[in-house]
Amino acid sequence: MKIVAVIPAYNEASRVGAVVHAARQYVDRVVVVDDGSIDATGVAAAAAGALVVRHPENAGAGAATMTGIEAARALGADIIVTIDADEQHDPRDIPALLQPVREGRADVVFANRFWSTSLGRSRNRIPAIRRLFNTIGNVVTFLAAGLWVRDSQCGFKVFGPKALSGVHLQTRGFEFCTEVIREARRHHWRIAEVPVKVVYSAYTLAKGQSFAIGVKTALQILLRSFLR
Amino acid sequence: MDITSYQIVAPLVSVVSLVYAWNLWYRQKKTLWEAALWTLFWASIALIAFYPDILTYLTAATGIKDQVNAILVTCIGILFFMVFYMIMRLEEMEQRQVRLIRAMALREAGLSHEDGERGKERVG
Repeated sequence: MKIVAVIPAYNEASRVGAVVHAARQYVDRVVVVDDGSIDATGVAAAAAGALVVRHPENAGAGAATMTGIEAARALGADIIVTIDADEQHDPRDIPALLQPVREGRADVVFANRFWSTSLGRSRNRIPAIRRLFNTIGNVVTFLAAGLWVRDSQCGFKVFGPKALSGVHLQTRGFEFCTEVIREARRHHWRIAEVPVKVVYSAYTLAKGQSFAIGVKTALQILLRSFLR
Repeated sequence: MDITSYQIVAPLVSVVSLVYAWNLWYRQKKTLWEAALWTLFWASIALIAFYPDILTYLTAATGIKDQVNAILVTCIGILFFMVFYMIMRLEEMEQRQVRLIRAMALREAGLSHEDGERGKERVG
């Protein structure tokens, strides 16, 4: 089975190369969608060995992910892995994420950054405000999609053959994570959730979703619910 | 029962508008939500033309008792409808822009945009 990693990237020149380099060890091909970056993101990704698809204008994380999915389909991918470009996710978790699809147990696999031990403690050091945002995102997603996913807003996912052929994302921004879950419910895809490591640094916290983006995302989800 | 010319013209215009709206929906140029909104709007016009006494009930329900209030409330309603309609149009235009950006990006990377996908988007 041909496995392609899709990495949407916007102004990640300092980080994307390392992500591409690490991801290449676990997949057959890496596609980086340079979402209209004004820095050298595309150059850094290409130097690390990725196929770069460049948006002439910034279109958003959701739009870039769908472009990457289209590119992967054109490359003949059977399975794709989506992963963030800011080194927040550890590519060493890719094999674990692929496992449910390889075993035929799932059509789409969601990473879970908020998993807990038997003692109830999270294995990842995640700021409280991030946990709060994620909980709100989970609730909004549940209301819009009717499916509870423990880490609904994580960009680290695997699409198996069935999901890859059927997925069609229309949202442009971060709300695409909710749309993937709604698509999973609509198409009756089997889902799996796999615990992953997450690395929050000052860089990723600064670049991550703010409260304003969270509110905008929630409104977009509701608007799209009406337009469906 | 005396039928005024307005009671003939208004329902006819409503029927034409409704047929036009659902035709647009059938040709995938309007969403189901938009067509339903248009149906609600024009059905109300036709209903009020047939049964003007409905306005008496509306007066009791809304407290609108003079014409100036009625005009203001109607204008607010129309503006609300226009804003909502423009949001939907804006959304559609942004979708088209994204499709264009995607097609350009894939073509530049040597990965042709599948025609079948465009067809699916029209249907969806």
